[in-house]
Parts: sequence; structure tokens; C-alpha cells
Amino acid sequence: MISLDAPVLIEIRDLCACVDDQPILNGVNLTIRAGEIHALMGRNGSGKSTLSKVLAGHPAYKVTEGSVLYRGEDLLPLEPDERSRIGLFLGFQYPVEIPGVSNLEFLRVSTNARRLEQGLEELDTFAFEDFVRERLGLVQMDPAFLDRSVNEGFSGGEKKRNEILQMALLEPLVAILDETDSGLDIDALRIVSGGVNQLANVDNATLLITHYQRLLDLIKPDYVHVMAAGRIVRSGDKALALELEQRGYEWVDRELDALEMT
Amino acid sequence: MVESPIKNSSALDDWCERLLHSLEAPSGPMAACQAQSRNQLETLSAPHRRQEAWRFCDLAPIAELEPRQIRSLGEPSAPSVSDQVTRLVLGTGQDPFAGVTLPKGLSPLSDAELKHSLGQTFNLATSKGQWPVALNQAIASQVIGLRVRGTVDNPLELVCDAGADRGVFAVRVLLLLEEKAKLELLQVQLSSGANLTSVLVEAHLQSEAKLRHGLLAFGHPQAALLAHLDVEQEPSSDVSLVSVCQGWGVIRHEPQLIQLNGGAKSQLRALQLVQANQLADTHSCVRFNGPEGTLDQLHKAVAAGHGRSVFNGVVQVPREAQRTDAAQLSRSLLLSDRARIDTKPELEIVADDVKCAHGATVSRLQPEALFYLQSRGISPDQAAQLLLRAFCDEVICMLPSTAGAWRPLARLLDGV
Amino acid sequence: MTSQSHVGQLVSQPYKYGFVTEIETEKIPKGLDEDVVRLISEKKNEPQFLLDFRIRAYRHWLKLQAPDWAGLGYPPIDYQDIVYYAAPKQKEKKNSLDEVDPTLLETFDKLGIPLSEQKRLSNVAVDAVFDSVSIATTYKEKLAEHGVVFCSITDAVNEYPELVRRYLGTVVPSNDNYFAALNSAVFSDGSFVFIPRGVECPMELSSYFRINSGDIGQFERTLIVAEEGASVSYLEGCTAPMFDTNTLHAAVVELVALDDASIKYSTVQNWYAGDENGVGGIYNFVTKRGHCCGERSKISWSQVETGSAITWKYPSCILQGADSVGEFYSVALTNHRQQADTGTKMIHLGPRTRSTIVSKGISAGHSANSYRGLVQMGPKAVNAKNYSQCDSMLIGDQAGANTYPYIRSQQPDASIEHEASTCRISEDQLFYLQSRGIDFEAAISMIVSGFCRDVFSQLPMEFAAEADKLLALKLEGSVG
Repeated sequence: MISLDAPVLIEIRDLCACVDDQPILNGVNLTIRAGEIHALMGRNGSGKSTLSKVLAGHPAYKVTEGSVLYRGEDLLPLEPDERSRIGLFLGFQYPVEIPGVSNLEFLRVSTNARRLEQGLEELDTFAFEDFVRERLGLVQMDPAFLDRSVNEGFSGGEKKRNEILQMALLEPLVAILDETDSGLDIDALRIVSGGVNQLANVDNATLLITHYQRLLDLIKPDYVHVMAAGRIVRSGDKALALELEQRGYEWVDRELDALEMT
Repeated sequence: MVESPIKNSSALDDWCERLLHSLEAPSGPMAACQAQSRNQLETLSAPHRRQEAWRFCDLAPIAELEPRQIRSLGEPSAPSVSDQVTRLVLGTGQDPFAGVTLPKGLSPLSDAELKHSLGQTFNLATSKGQWPVALNQAIASQVIGLRVRGTVDNPLELVCDAGADRGVFAVRVLLLLEEKAKLELLQVQLSSGANLTSVLVEAHLQSEAKLRHGLLAFGHPQAALLAHLDVEQEPSSDVSLVSVCQGWGVIRHEPQLIQLNGGAKSQLRALQLVQANQLADTHSCVRFNGPEGTLDQLHKAVAAGHGRSVFNGVVQVPREAQRTDAAQLSRSLLLSDRARIDTKPELEIVADDVKCAHGATVSRLQPEALFYLQSRGISPDQAAQLLLRAFCDEVICMLPSTAGAWRPLARLLDGV
Repeated sequence: MTSQSHVGQLVSQPYKYGFVTEIETEKIPKGLDEDVVRLISEKKNEPQFLLDFRIRAYRHWLKLQAPDWAGLGYPPIDYQDIVYYAAPKQKEKKNSLDEVDPTLLETFDKLGIPLSEQKRLSNVAVDAVFDSVSIATTYKEKLAEHGVVFCSITDAVNEYPELVRRYLGTVVPSNDNYFAALNSAVFSDGSFVFIPRGVECPMELSSYFRINSGDIGQFERTLIVAEEGASVSYLEGCTAPMFDTNTLHAAVVELVALDDASIKYSTVQNWYAGDENGVGGIYNFVTKRGHCCGERSKISWSQVETGSAITWKYPSCILQGADSVGEFYSVALTNHRQQADTGTKMIHLGPRTRSTIVSKGISAGHSANSYRGLVQMGPKAVNAKNYSQCDSMLIGDQAGANTYPYIRSQQPDASIEHEASTCRISEDQLFYLQSRGIDFEAAISMIVSGFCRDVFSQLPMEFAAEADKLLALKLEGSVG
């Protein structure tokens, strides 16, 4: 839902970043306003996942140039947990398994950390159980998941549903979903995208990172961006995604070459 | 390594000699055993670092302790005990059985039975001639000897608190589990001062017997613990030994299991945490003397501060132990760049149709897991705590049910 | 190399290399004292520094005791009953191969290592060592064009004394251990390789060690130095005749890799293993160690150990340079009464150093096969990583497989992962292969070779096929 008076949630300017001294992002520009859904597409290695990790503050990625403003404030000095508490959420492509840490306890601690930040009361064990059970329905998860260790022994689909469940609990303002659709069968994809759609509202925004049109059939983006060689080389509406689906990425390469020339 | 017949003279040897001189003459039902072990100690060198088994385990701090036997201890600082648990308090100078109604199925061994059974296990389990064993036998004047018949419904708790007394205290336990007997036992060893606690546990399990033994040991930076457990299993028996140790200046933990004719189930779980200048060393040995035995062993260590953690786990699968299924895993967390980990899982196999595996990992807390938790708004400290607790809980949750009253996790992580 | 035909000849008998070459040999009398050490040095016309090195080592050796921690079973070695120097009598100086005694050339022909111009291998330069001396090195001139030095260590001492002096004993000091000290005192020959800065060695280098006399001890010494950015792949092979007495082989190998240098060292060890009752065979007590002293340097050990009555060897890497890499890939097969105690040490000193250990032990007959390895993370090994995998395959219920990994860490930001497992050839696997028309022995060798694949894939082409066949051969009759 596009409204140009809506407040800007995140503003990325000329962002450059590297891993192990290897530059990956080479000047990314992107503005996301409340109420918007953006899709970020591009080949493997184009920098999509790196952008998501940089926004979430992964320590392995070093920002070398540029800025990121989150609701008008500099995001980059903040620790990953601080970013989460102020409403930035990253849905991981490969959620890590953490043996021994109970899923329920983990969800309660992180939810309360966000709630404290929002000036809300912490939920005690019982109140939280009620809250989480209600949200479980959103991703059609079996409550038995809560008693297991974080992501341990989860199937690919279960892991992704667990990510959306966390999103539902944390109620972020900006949700970045890194290839949430990969490895999902069609039913799981419906559940996950249904969850995302229900959580989207006029106050928050979503950045979907994906390779495939099929996710965009289920979650309708307002904007589509194409990334290549560490920057956004084209932006458009959902027609751009269809065009990509039909013509592949080769014409993106040509545009990139043209860009290099200038 | 062959022991040299000429005794070396280390500070620990001198200490041991002074300790032996200070002891009262052997008396009571244990007199013969005491005398024999004291003679043995006259010629047996105290462990030193040149021996492979003691390479990383320096017992020198023990030589700093007062070489005298503590005759009786004060009341332990223990949580109140529920009706469902039978607690025996050791070392207070009183008969630990006095005023206690033992649950059905448990009966103290008579002096004659004790004499007959004591030390039998060590002869089989190659523990004979080991200094910590001889030391315990030389001192211990009392044995908690129990016969277990049928299922003992109430868990048993043995509590011994060396407190801040100076000297050496010895605890000796003998358990005879008859066919199909079942017992759950939590042994709690505490100390809060400069003393040495020597623990010797022997257990014999007849077929289909089941023992769950937990050792909860919380010490003091000046305290030392030598804990030696010898367990003999007949086929179809089932043993679980779980230990959680923290806080001792020096701890040497030696669980030894032998499956007399294979076919039994053994489970070992250990967790040791060291910080400051503490040393914790676990030397385990599991031997299968017959076919179709199983072992599931997990050893965990956390080393912080200047702490040093050592693990040596031997699994022996001789030819007669076909179809053995043994798995051993050693996982260590190194939390400080001044701490050290030494770990050595050992497999010795002479049987072709077996499933044996071991694994070992040493690392700090996983950065990816920390980041994941952090990205969900959890502070780095809290995330590290969560991961550390999860790491420890895998062992703690296996302790006998009564351990909960002692708040093992909170005590364990105290000050980390 | 025509490894196919080479190995093909072997299949009919268990140890094809067991012949003795009839050749007149110059031997010094049995026994060891300081005079013998001086005599060896004199025979080789050595400079004073090397004599001093030997004497120091000898005096130190006298103070040492043979190590017993590996628990290997063998009677005490009588060091006075060994000949420390034996050389085939031939013209003093062998300027060209034409001057090498034809009997010796024939011997190496028979071993599958043709040395003469016409027959020699086109892409492998060979240094051939017979008892105590190197008799020939091929392609010396061609290598010299690239600045590569490949010669016997004796020649190197005379022609490049400064290089030898700079590096000899820097990786394995003369007082390192009992056998290294002995070697340092009495070593007779071995190979020397020097790859100058920036040079990629144009061909594989190879040394072939042949023990011929029954009463000698072979003490070879190999030194390989790769300067900044240089790289080399080196192969080593060894055989000996069948004697019913035991022969001592105590070698020392030192590798030095400077910044960005890479050394790959492969061994196919097929010393005579003794008969099925354990009579005779070589005692192979070897110290091999590489020093990654340069940044981003790499040393990779691959070994296929099938021979020797007793093997005691731990090719190791000292990873000192930042980002340096150590690798150890090993297949050790023991049969009959053989004993092998082998593994590696990966000593991580520098930051971001990485090591990989893959060990495959196969125990058959009444043999004992142990993996013994050390992985150590020093206080400065920030972000260093090790991964070890040690698998044992047991064939029959009389053989032993032991695994003794020593793991030590003083660096929280280093990670160590070790896994070990045991297996045997399952009835199901055999049945499956047999039901597809593969005969019993072929099925066994297929499974064994699959078990070893991770290691074989690291060997140079010429060796991989040979190693595979060698295993099949060694296992003949041990199953079923």
C-alpha cells in the first residue's frame, strides 16, 4: 500500500559493505515507507542476503561507506539485539539450530525484550503461553514445537514457520524476509505467506528477498527491485518481477554493463 | 607405565607420609583393609606429572592441606528434604542410619558381608594399586554398605559436607544391587574450606538391576576432591552415572565401568566447570568383557578464567565384546583465552562387528547462535547465558530427580 | 607411470619386492660409537658443521631411552648389531647414469623405477637411494633450468652447504626424540629439494628408497625447502627384501614452507612387513615434520602405509605463519602381525591457521593399528580451525584398532572438531555387490577402496591407482 506521506521507516544511502575484505555491496540505495511491501530480486551472489545481514548487524559484515537511517536515526552503530528491540526483524534464510535452548523460553525472552522497549509490560510465563498459543494459529504450528530446542531437528518448512511465528510475536516495523520461500512446498508457502500478509499493516513494512515469482503471487509487492553486483540496478512495480520471470536476468547484466560504461 | 619400586619423594609423598603417621591405629570392621592400604601407600608413589594418566593433573595443592584426618563433620548446609526422599548424612560422628527408616528394599550390609565384598570390584576393574583408591581405603573407617532388593521407590540421598574443616575426609560406599533391583541415588559432596574429600564408590549390579547414580559436587577454591567410582555390571543391568562438579581447586573424577559379560547398558554423563585457577580432570574407563553391551557417554566441560579442564575417556572393546554399541562424545567450551582444555577420547577395539564412535569438539559459544539470539533482541550477555545454560542443562537434566532441590544449575553458573 | 602393468605383475605373490640384488657392497663393521659417526662423516667428505651436528646428536642420543608410550611390542634393538653404512661398490663419481653399475639400474627396473634415459618416467624426476647412498638422480639438468635443486643430501652438503646449514635440523632438531637423534648422528643419504622463490616445480619429484643388505640400518634424511610462492609435489616409495631378521629404518624428513609456498608430500610405504607369523620385516621409526613458517603457506601429507613390521610415524605440521594450512591424509593397512602407530600432530601457532586430518585405518589378521594424533591450539591461534576424521575398518575378530586423539586448546576463538568411527565390511554390502556380478575379492577391494577414497583422491595420479591395487593385494586371503 503506497502512500507518499507515510513516514519513512528505513533509508539506505550509498551503502557499501564487505566480508573478509571482499566488497559485496557497492552502493545500495533504497527507501522504505510504512505500509509498503518491497521485493528484492537478483541472482545468487548479487548481494541480497548480504544486505539483509548488514541491516541486521551481523558482525562478519563491515560497512565501508554509506548510511542507513531507521526512522531518521542512524542504524549502523546499534548492536543486533538493539536493532531487534526497536523493531527491525530479519527472517533468516538458514535459521541456526541451537540445541538445548528451549524454543518457548527463547521466544519469551525475545518477546519481552521487545515489549520493554515499546514501554509495554513484560509477559509472565502464563500470559506469554496464552499469547504464543494465539499466534501459533497464524502459522498453523503445533504447540509441541514450543517444547523443542530452537530450530533443532526442525524440517526446512518448520524452521521458516518458526521464523514467521517470531515475527508475529515481535511485531516489527520493518521485516526483512531472506528467501523465506526457499525449500518450502506449496502448502507451507501458503501458510508462510498468509502469515506475512496478516501481519502487514499501514504502520509496518516488509522487504521480501526472493528468487521466485511464486512468492509474489501470494504476497503482492508494491515495489520490485533487482540487485546485481552489489547494487540495485532497476526498480519498478510488480510488472518488473513478471518481466524477470519471462526474460531471465541476462538483460539485467546488459543494463549493468551500460551502467559501468557511464 | 611400570611403577618404580623406589618411592620418589615429592611434596605429596611427604604429605601422605605425615598423614599416615597421624592416623589412629586401624580398628573396627575396616581394620584389615586399612592396614593393608596403609602398607601399600608406604611404597606407592603419589601421582606425578611424568605419569601419562596424571600429565595434566597436578595434585600439588593437596600437599598444601593439613595432613590429618577429619574425624567428624558438622551438619551439612542442605535444603530441607521431602518425605519422598531418604537422606543419609555422612561424617557427623553419628551412625548415619540412626533415626532413619530405610525404604523397603534397602538394608545395611553386615560387617561380615562388607568384609566379603569390599574391594572385589577394584581387583576386577584394574583400580588396584591406584593411589586415590589406596588413600581412601587407608583412611575410611566407615562404609555405607547397602543391599538393594527389588525396586526402591524412594530415592536415596547421601550428603557429606566437609565444611571449612581442615584435613582429609574419606567417604566410602558399597552398593550391592540384586537381580532386578532398582535404586536412584544422589550423592552430594560439599566443601567450603581447605580440605580434601576422598570418595570411593563401589557398585555391583546383578542382572536386570538398575542404578541411577548422581554425583553433585560443589567445592571451594582451596578444596580438593578425589572421586573414584567402580561399577561392575552383569548382563541386562542398566547403569547411569551422572556427575556435575564445580568450584573445587582440584578435582579428579575417575568413573570406571566394567561390563562383566557384556549385554548391559551403561550411560555416563559428566559436566565439569572450572574458573579462576581451578583444575578438573575426569579419567573415565569403560570395558566390555562380553558381547552386546552399550555405552552412551557424554562429557562436557566449561573452562573460564584461568581454569583447566582435562578429559580422558577410554573405551575398551576386546574380542569377546562383539556387537558392542559404544558412543562417546566430549564437548568443551573454552570461554577465556587464559583457560585450557585437554581432551582425549580413546577407543581400543579388537572386535570387528561393533559400532563404536567418538567425537570431540572444543570451541567457544557458537557465534551464529549468539547472533541469532541477538537478532531477536536478546542482549549479548543474556544470549551467552542462555547458550551456556542450555549447554549445561543437557547433563543436569539427567541427574536423579531429587537433585532439583539443590539448585544445581544456579550453583554451577554462580560467578561465571 | 604404467602403474597398471606395474601393479599387475605383483598380484600373483604377496611381496614382489623381496628379492636381493647380488652386488659387491662396501660395509663398515657393525656397531656404533663416536668413531663410527666420524667415519660416516669422513666417507662423505663433510664440512665441520655437519660433523659437529652429528656428534652433538650422538652424545644426546646416548642419554635418551627408546620411547615406549606407543605400547608397541618388539624385543630391544641391539644397536651394536647394525651396520650403519653400506654402499654398493662403484666408481667414485657418477657423472652420468651411464656410469652407474648396470646391476643397480636393473634392480630399479625390476622395482618399476626405470632410471636410464630411454625408459625413465617422463614427468617424474627420481632420486634412487640404495642402502646408505643415493646412486642416481634423474632430470637434474632440466630442473636446474628452473632453478630447482633436486639431488642427494650428500651432494647438497657439498654443493649447497649454506642452504643445508641454514635449514637442516630446524624443523626436527637433533635432540627431538630417540630415533631423530640417532638419525641425526648416522644419517647416510636421502634427498634434498630446494624450490626458489616463485617457482612452481615443473615435474613431480620422487625418491625411491631401497634397503638391500640384511644387516644394515637405513637412516635417510630428506630436506625440502620451498621459498616464497614456490610449490612442489614430492613422492616417496620404499621397498626391501625379505629377510627373517628385522631391519631398522629410522628416517627424518624436514619440510620448510615460506610465505605462500606449498609442499605436497606423498608416501607409499611398502617395506617388507615380515611373514604371516611376524618373523622379519622392517621397523619403520620415522620422524616427519613440516614447518609452515610463512604466511599462507601449506603443507600437505598423504600417506599409504601398507608395509613394515612396525610403523611409528607422525607426519606433522607446525602452523606458525598466519593463514597457513596443514593437511594429513592417511591410509594405514595392517595384516598378519603388523603393528602400526601412526597419525599426525597439527600444532596451530599462528592466527587463522587451518588443518584437516583424514585417517583411515584398516586392521586385518592379528595386527594392531592405532591412530595417534595431536591437535593443539596455541594462545595466538585466533580463529584457527581443525577438523579431524579417523575411521577404522576391522577385518576379522583378531585385529585391533585404536584411536588416541590428543586435543588441546588454549584459544577460545579456535575450533576443533574430531570424529571417529569404526566399521566392518557388512554382509549386506558384500551381498549387494556380489548380486551385481562382482566376485568376492573384487567386492572387498571395492569396499575397502571406497573406504579410503577421501585419502586416495589426495594422492598424485601415479600413486592413486597403485595404492588401490596395493591394498587389494595386501588383503588377499584375509577375509572370508
